[in-house]
Amino acid sequence: MFRYIVRRVMSAVPLLFGLLTFTFFIIRLAPGDPTAMYIRGDVDPHYAEQLRATLGLNDPLPVQYVKWLRGVMSGELGTSFSLNDEVVDILARTIPNTMMLTFFALVLNFGIGIVLGVVSALRRGRTVDHLLNVVALFLYSIPEFWLGLMLILGVSLNLDLLPASGIHSPLAQFLSTWEYLWDLIQHMVLPVFVLGVASAAATGRYMRGSLLEVIQQDYIRTARAKGLSEFVVIGKHALRNAMIPIITLFGLSLPFLLGGAVIVETVFSWPGMGKLTVDAIFARDYPVIIACTLVSGVMVIMGNLVADILYAFVDPRIRYG
Amino acid sequence: MTPRLLFVSVLCCAMLIGCGKRSADKDAMAETAVVAISGDADNLNPVVANTTVASDIGSGVYPMMFDVVFDLREGKLKFGPGLVTSWEFANEGKDVILRIRKDVRWEDGMPVTTEDIKFSYELYGDPDVASPRRNYVESMMFTDGKFDIDKSVTIVDDTTMVFHFVKTYPLQLFHLNLSPIPKHVYHNADRRTLRTNPANERAVGAGPFRLEEWVRQQQITLIRNGKAALPYPAKLERVVFRVISEPTTRLTELKKGTVDLMRPVYPEDVKEIQEKNPDIKLITLPPRNYDYIGWMNIDIEAYHSKKVIKPHPLFGDRRVRQALTYGIDRRSILREKLQSYGELAVTDFSPIFRWAINKTLVPYPYDPEKARQLLRLAGWSDSNGDGILDKGGRNFEFTLYYNAGNKRREYVATVVQDNLKQLGIRCKIQAVENIVLYQNIDEKKYDAFIDGFSVGLAIDPSDRWGDVMNPFNTVGFQNGRIAELLKLGLHVQNERDAGPFWMEIQSILHQEQPVTFMYWVKEIVGVNRRLKNTNINTLGITDRMWDWTIGDPNSAMTQ
Repeated sequence: MFRYIVRRVMSAVPLLFGLLTFTFFIIRLAPGDPTAMYIRGDVDPHYAEQLRATLGLNDPLPVQYVKWLRGVMSGELGTSFSLNDEVVDILARTIPNTMMLTFFALVLNFGIGIVLGVVSALRRGRTVDHLLNVVALFLYSIPEFWLGLMLILGVSLNLDLLPASGIHSPLAQFLSTWEYLWDLIQHMVLPVFVLGVASAAATGRYMRGSLLEVIQQDYIRTARAKGLSEFVVIGKHALRNAMIPIITLFGLSLPFLLGGAVIVETVFSWPGMGKLTVDAIFARDYPVIIACTLVSGVMVIMGNLVADILYAFVDPRIRYG
Repeated sequence: MTPRLLFVSVLCCAMLIGCGKRSADKDAMAETAVVAISGDADNLNPVVANTTVASDIGSGVYPMMFDVVFDLREGKLKFGPGLVTSWEFANEGKDVILRIRKDVRWEDGMPVTTEDIKFSYELYGDPDVASPRRNYVESMMFTDGKFDIDKSVTIVDDTTMVFHFVKTYPLQLFHLNLSPIPKHVYHNADRRTLRTNPANERAVGAGPFRLEEWVRQQQITLIRNGKAALPYPAKLERVVFRVISEPTTRLTELKKGTVDLMRPVYPEDVKEIQEKNPDIKLITLPPRNYDYIGWMNIDIEAYHSKKVIKPHPLFGDRRVRQALTYGIDRRSILREKLQSYGELAVTDFSPIFRWAINKTLVPYPYDPEKARQLLRLAGWSDSNGDGILDKGGRNFEFTLYYNAGNKRREYVATVVQDNLKQLGIRCKIQAVENIVLYQNIDEKKYDAFIDGFSVGLAIDPSDRWGDVMNPFNTVGFQNGRIAELLKLGLHVQNERDAGPFWMEIQSILHQEQPVTFMYWVKEIVGVNRRLKNTNINTLGITDRMWDWTIGDPNSAMTQ
């Protein structure tokens, strides 16, 4: 297994390098110039021209590529054009914010999704199943931005139960450690709910379908014929096999841990990777775009690897040499 | 457990905790104002900063050379003593002698001296630094095309200095109002990387506030600078600038009372706020931003391929541009989108400059018949009966570009398309990403586009209507008489003497219609009534923020 993991990781290095090189050229070929945003209002009309020179954007593309490559080889990701900060520092600040949000959203997603799917499958065709189907479809079809704004208006503005935006209250530094933690949790409730609940509806549907397929298999009938309790039949025999598609889904969801969720982050002013990436794309902030691509690329590769390893745990037929 | 049940449980927990005692931050909030901002500051070093937020924060942290007021009755800037205690003009107005205060100190205790000011101007003028305000030094001394700081600034002693200009002009004091930064902090800084210098994060200033904390992309906290001598320590303990990018969320925070000040409030939200939120006061700013439809005056193909300037085949004729303005129902757009928070634009001379406005000019009315008549005079007719005007075998059709996501301009584009269709002009509309739109406008690649412009606090139309190559002259307009008037207007020492020249320029612009000037936008600012002594005006929303206090929302508010 260890050799398999090392082999997979090693094979990912050229893949990532290729991805970054491709991104480097494709964003520079896209229309729009990073300095175009600055030629507005009360500024020197030749400001953009000077800024291009200062940022090295007037160099020929191959020269820019060699400079960038040299930086990457020495572990430097460059400096953001729009935020005037080292990209490494930006990532170091943003990734924890995103992980906080997306980790709990994933827990909510898979926690609720699996439970809903199992209940729905076991009560197939009954009122509970129909009800859960309707609720799942309803939640799945609500746009995230709309749900977010409605919760802000309802829960935050009208009921005044939770804060509307941000990670902390403006003067959170004056709070005790516990109060600070609760302040954080209160700020997390709405964005985590919005992110997790819609995905939970989808996960629930996957879980239901998968479990329904498994419980019709012969070996489940055999387990029941052996006189095993329903709890053991479902919990030990059926659920383990039914989890395989959910693990695939989980593997595919892992990049989201660091990729962030742009709509929810924007609505709730949560300074995460999703918003950072989209803002960087709109501002043509090349160093930040490449760094975000790197993070996403690593997470996609890691997600697939984790999913492949988990398959071996739930399916005894799968072995990695 | 259903998601709803789980949600209710989480809410109950949060409520219980939320009801707990949090006296520390409540006490602090009683001495804190919260300003919602749509995006983070790009930099806290005023030499390279380029966002309004950075400028708002800088005005509280860095020493200001002059105490500047915009007199709305007169429509002009007035300069009072700030760091500069007195000033006088010499050498026929080309030299300005400044005397500065002795008692102003940087946060680290070092005195603010004339050396700091000279050093700062050296940075502002250095092309390697790439300051957005480099144009402020362009009338000072240059040697071999490079800004010469030693010829431009003479230091007499720690508190006296002389600025040397190549000419006398109305904006001299305005151009001497750039914030200085401490030389002892930045003297070894690499010029090319000044914008990422670690010292920018600390923002060592000498103003009534100092930077307490900058949590990037989240909030910037200013705290009272108890040692400030310019003008004095802030009355409020703290001002927090919170980044809330979503406009609806920003407005919600204002309505909740968790934000004290925000911009902009949109006209469509005004009625509801006035009816349901008595704690919020809405203040309208005098207009400094306008939207326009740019009609490319020059043939862009000839311009880009051979650098030859010749009239644009569609919009090169003044009569066509006039017809387009007559043919667009600007008043209905104004009514629908801005209501009373806008006014029809006559030219791009802002109504705030009362003394310079040519009051004999009136906005073009919506008159499709007049538009048809002018188009006929310009030789456009529907010769083949296909419903589209043509001339010399060319149909009158073009694409109108605007920035995607801007609802107001999207509406303008659809109205324009409909209005022009009635004249026999086929106008396709195309939304493009902001950055692509701006780049193509600046490079003069579009025949027609919707754009906006923000005017400065002093009149200087030279970028907009002077050199055809200037990126701000977005439609390649050129006019010999305007070029002469610009020279005259920008060479008087007394601003008011330029009035007749500016009025004549307006007449020419009104006649020529290089663009269709659409409307001025009066931005609306929302303020919680607990925030007292605000001075929200043409200069910005944080002008004199050191006088802000927190008080009873029901007591009278000083504006």
